[in-house]
Amino acid sequence: MSGRRALDSGMRLEIDRIACDAYGTCAELLPEGIDLDEWGYPVIAPGNVPVHLLDLAKRAVDSCPVLAMRLVKAQAPVVASAPPPAPVLAARADRTEGTPPWPPRQQNRAPKRSPEARRRR
Amino acid sequence: MTIRLLAGPTPAVGAESLADHRARLGDLPGRTERSRLIPTLETAGLLGRGGAGFPVARKWAAVAERAKGDAVVLANGAEGEPLSHKDRVLMSSRPHLVLDGLELAAEAVGARRAILYVGSEHAQARGALEHALAERAADRSSTFSRVPITMASPPVSYLAGEESAAVHFVNSGDARPTTVPPRPFEKGVGGKPTLVQNVESLSHAALIARYGDAWYREAGRATTPGTALVTVTGGRRPGVLEIDLGTTIAEVAEWAGVASSPGSPVLLGGYFGGLVAGAEAWRLPLDPAILRGAGTAFGAGVVAFMGDESCGVATTARIMDYMAGSSAAQCGPCVFGLRAIADASARVATGQARGDDLTRLRGWSTSIAGRGACRLPDGATGLLASSLRVYDADWSSHQHHRRCTAPRGAARIPA
Repeated sequence: MSGRRALDSGMRLEIDRIACDAYGTCAELLPEGIDLDEWGYPVIAPGNVPVHLLDLAKRAVDSCPVLAMRLVKAQAPVVASAPPPAPVLAARADRTEGTPPWPPRQQNRAPKRSPEARRRR
Repeated sequence: MTIRLLAGPTPAVGAESLADHRARLGDLPGRTERSRLIPTLETAGLLGRGGAGFPVARKWAAVAERAKGDAVVLANGAEGEPLSHKDRVLMSSRPHLVLDGLELAAEAVGARRAILYVGSEHAQARGALEHALAERAADRSSTFSRVPITMASPPVSYLAGEESAAVHFVNSGDARPTTVPPRPFEKGVGGKPTLVQNVESLSHAALIARYGDAWYREAGRATTPGTALVTVTGGRRPGVLEIDLGTTIAEVAEWAGVASSPGSPVLLGGYFGGLVAGAEAWRLPLDPAILRGAGTAFGAGVVAFMGDESCGVATTARIMDYMAGSSAAQCGPCVFGLRAIADASARVATGQARGDDLTRLRGWSTSIAGRGACRLPDGATGLLASSLRVYDADWSSHQHHRRCTAPRGAARIPA
């Protein structure tokens, strides 16, 4: 983010971690905001999605084969004096995320496959 | 030391009968006083004792508000934390205090159903509670109408006590966490707003209902009022103690007959908690607010003295292996991340470190938290991060010189 600050869409990407099966489609469609860890699971940049990436973020959500991603309205800061939100989808290092706040999907799922097993699919 | 929950006969003699319980503590207060219980708990400042330390009154109020008279209350006695025994001691010796708390909570939040959720291997606790339920059923002098109470026995596992896992087990027999929200207070057992409350928290509420908020606040020596049960290991006299919150770790060490020198590392909170070291750690008060400020946690009241002679790296490796094995295997970062951490820790601990193991462990200690449906990865990596700090020199010498200088291996703690 050199100089110019991106416009905040007020939306955040959330992942249902139980549903997520490391297809990696999201990171392909939105590399600006989603990294994959060494096992292929997504790491989402902190902060809200900037306006200019919102359409791509929607595509990433719609393209997830297991529908594990969602765009949700970001919650207003609880405290008035809370620090300003982190630079939008900037700094790919030290990304952190909260627990995804969405309803449960079916819970009895197949066991997670290792990256090697996934390559065989 | 103020003794409240465990006042009366020593817990070693077993469950207190209904008659003894009544004779010692008297009946619960009348309806008018009971109707003010939530505000009373608020001013008392009672915090939950299951590990998260959430204010009890706020939890009850959230359920009461949503439930409109059709809530469920679940008394959480799963106690899956390997270092904790306090809930079992409480349930086994003071079952009527737990049941008083459960009934008061049910009335306060407007529940039509109450559940005793007790780990299936905690046979003595279950037996005491079942016997106590029978005593109450046969009792005609009951002071207020009671909700039906049923028993649920999850398999003992680290995650069975996680609140979404508890609700999931009652709903479908599967004691694994679910994606939240909805949280149990929004949509829990049978889809109804559900209060999941640790059995110790309920027991404190039962005493506050009788004696009031001002009485509760008379105990406690630092910021947070009240007493708490703690499980102490690593000394000559391990066991469950009731302490005033704010009691220092050094005092607990003396009480438990800990021989190791002040400043040797202490594991606080449980496997979800963290290691602290240094002489100031021994001066730390066991107070949720102060411990949070010091970067650790009161958690489930675990105080485990690691001793001077055990190898911190080996102990951490054992705990990481336990945590990896405790994963519900639902979320990728937890399944693969915790296993990778456990394997790398084991290699470092046993002198088989690969070139970048320690670097990778440092990376994983921050990159996996917050990426599971529940907080297991956060707890495991938090403990790992604290170990990498506290035992920094030991991790380095294990990694680079493949050498362990500790006279003994892993600390003798259950894992």
